[in-house]
Amino acid sequence: MIVLSGRDLNKEYISRDRKVRPLQHVDFDLHQGEILGIVGESGSGKSTLLKVISGIEKPDSGMLYHLDKEYTGSKPEKTGKFLQMIFQDAYGSFDPKMNMEKSLKEGTASDRNEIVRVIGEVGLSEDLLDRRPRHLSGGQCQRMSIARALLSHADVLLCDEITSALDVTTQAQVIKLLMEIRDMENVSIILVSHDLALVSMICDRIMVMKDGVVVEEGKTEDVINKPSDEYTRKLLNSIIAV
Amino acid sequence: MSDYLLKINGISASYGDEDIVKSVSFSMLPGEIVCIVGESGSGKSTLIKAIHGMSDLKITGGNIVFDGTDITSLPAKDRRKLMGSGIGLIPQNPGASFNPIRKLDVQFRESLAAHDMPFDENRIDDMLRIIGLQHGKSVLKNRPFELSGGMNQRIAIAAAMMFEPRLLLCDEATSALDVTTAGAVVEELLKIRKTNGTSILLVTHHLGIARKMADNIGIMKDGRLIEYGSTDKIFDSPENEYTKKLIRDVPRLKK
Amino acid sequence: MLAPNDPYATNSSLIRQAPSAAYLFGTDNLGRCVLSRVLVGARTTIASTFFLVAVSFLIGIIIGMLCGFYGGIVDDILMRVADLMLAFPQMVVAIAVAGILGGGLGGAMIALGITMWTSFARLARSHTLSIKNEPYITAARLQGKSGLQIMMTHIMPNILEPVLINALTQIGTTMIGISGLSFLGLGVVAPQAEWGSMISEARAYIQIAPWAVLFPAAATVITIVVFNYLGDAVMEYRKAE
Repeated sequence: MIVLSGRDLNKEYISRDRKVRPLQHVDFDLHQGEILGIVGESGSGKSTLLKVISGIEKPDSGMLYHLDKEYTGSKPEKTGKFLQMIFQDAYGSFDPKMNMEKSLKEGTASDRNEIVRVIGEVGLSEDLLDRRPRHLSGGQCQRMSIARALLSHADVLLCDEITSALDVTTQAQVIKLLMEIRDMENVSIILVSHDLALVSMICDRIMVMKDGVVVEEGKTEDVINKPSDEYTRKLLNSIIAV
Repeated sequence: MSDYLLKINGISASYGDEDIVKSVSFSMLPGEIVCIVGESGSGKSTLIKAIHGMSDLKITGGNIVFDGTDITSLPAKDRRKLMGSGIGLIPQNPGASFNPIRKLDVQFRESLAAHDMPFDENRIDDMLRIIGLQHGKSVLKNRPFELSGGMNQRIAIAAAMMFEPRLLLCDEATSALDVTTAGAVVEELLKIRKTNGTSILLVTHHLGIARKMADNIGIMKDGRLIEYGSTDKIFDSPENEYTKKLIRDVPRLKK
Repeated sequence: MLAPNDPYATNSSLIRQAPSAAYLFGTDNLGRCVLSRVLVGARTTIASTFFLVAVSFLIGIIIGMLCGFYGGIVDDILMRVADLMLAFPQMVVAIAVAGILGGGLGGAMIALGITMWTSFARLARSHTLSIKNEPYITAARLQGKSGLQIMMTHIMPNILEPVLINALTQIGTTMIGISGLSFLGLGVVAPQAEWGSMISEARAYIQIAPWAVLFPAAATVITIVVFNYLGDAVMEYRKAE
């Protein structure tokens, strides 16, 4: 079953007298319960794609569907009912003046018991609920934002470079958590990252983007082992492995 | 003993009350590449600043010997002489090391003049070609904000190389770059060592880069150097639990 | 309350008395106690200043948030109006408006308020612009919060401090404004005690009874300096945090 899909998405704007086309005829399908990786370098359009999917930005043309229902042009206030975003800047995704409990309660009718259960599920303890984002570590903050997304009962999590500001060891934990909640909560996940190795570890399928175009798409094993596109090969070659 | 280009003896450094670098010791031979690996808050960038010395960091213990001279508490004037031709620095954010709205050639001219070195356009051109910029002269007519991050980082490397330093300090020199660009910068750094015999001290959180470049690797955690050894030893038979965890947690391509 | 004598009681036998134990600041042309009038005048001057700054602050911050958050044509129009206000010196506009409205404290406050809200609006707008693309605002939208809710719960608390500090630093100039208009006869009308109007009245006989000018003037200067220092101190404190 396909939870979320986009057809022929286009977006362009003028920046410093130059035409930028972050999305050119982009199609995607997100299946129920899968983790889809979108890989690309800066300027590839991968972050714009997430903004368009979530309704933060409008596509110039193209269609977006959630469970076969079109939602193109819906604002985040509407799309938030079925999708939630996890941001690169974990600290910035919480109001600096609010404690965690208040922030988590914003979009949910859940009571404190339910909140405590969910933050337990993401590996956090209840006492952190009284803290403001500044008094959490980057990893704790990112776990909190995953908890917030889960509390709003969204089917889809959109993750935008969610580990690139984290340390290697913390990154490993957050990635593991993402796989766990996929199994426990049966959510579908889009993971945008510049790190092909990271994406290959947890994604079922991979889309490679360059200059607003999807240059390659397929099952993770196929993209990694039998890349059909020149740019994918270049990306694979530039991984400085351990 | 005097063979060492850089010798760090139990250095401790702080910005205030608490030491951020805690009695770190290691030495570097001429032409050697050492990578210091650590996570945020490990004190690895502070270590670079302590060696570079041009900041309000306080050295609270130990000493740093560069080429037989104790440079731990060198007066700013003498230190400035040493910078450039002795020790070069490639900062983490290349944008911050240039004035973003002034033309690059003007900035090059000024910093060369500050070290009593001639402004030789052809030499700069050669230098930029080494690090992979073919049209050096026209690139230098630009202002830093008009160029990409990767371009600025390459120019920052060229600027540091211009003075032919014997020791090049790199503070996360690739972490702000795209993967493909980062790979190219790593190649260029290796090439510089090969052609000029430059020693490179590179601080990074990226274990892959450390493995590719370093002769010796040091692992830092909470201000201490918890493990130091040859690259092969660190990766093949790490002793410290934290080192093992770091190596284990690096994402690997799943084939 | 604190005034030792009735500030409005005239006494023809005590005209222009030099400062003494009974009348610490002396008396004015009508034999009124200058100290009592300075104290009572403080109430008028400071209260009206606070009220004016508070109202301008509220109007400014609301307009600024709306402009910054929604942008578009409303933003364009309101900001051009604000530009227009800033194009004239504040005092010139105030004198003109107060002149049209006639005397009175209310008129003076409207005259000053007409330009004052713009600085708060501009500041609130720029701070709103700088935080409205923060992930936590986007997150709140994805939680289904409306623009108005986001402005009240997220934007207002986060821009309040800088705008409030700006308000503190404006108290001094506002006080000068009100006293100035009163001095020109466009603000508080006699016999009500207000520092500006006191100076204005006593100015005529400054050579005979300088204290009647000196004390309200000193009160004005000291109060303004104190509030300016307060504003600076709060600003420094915020920076240090």
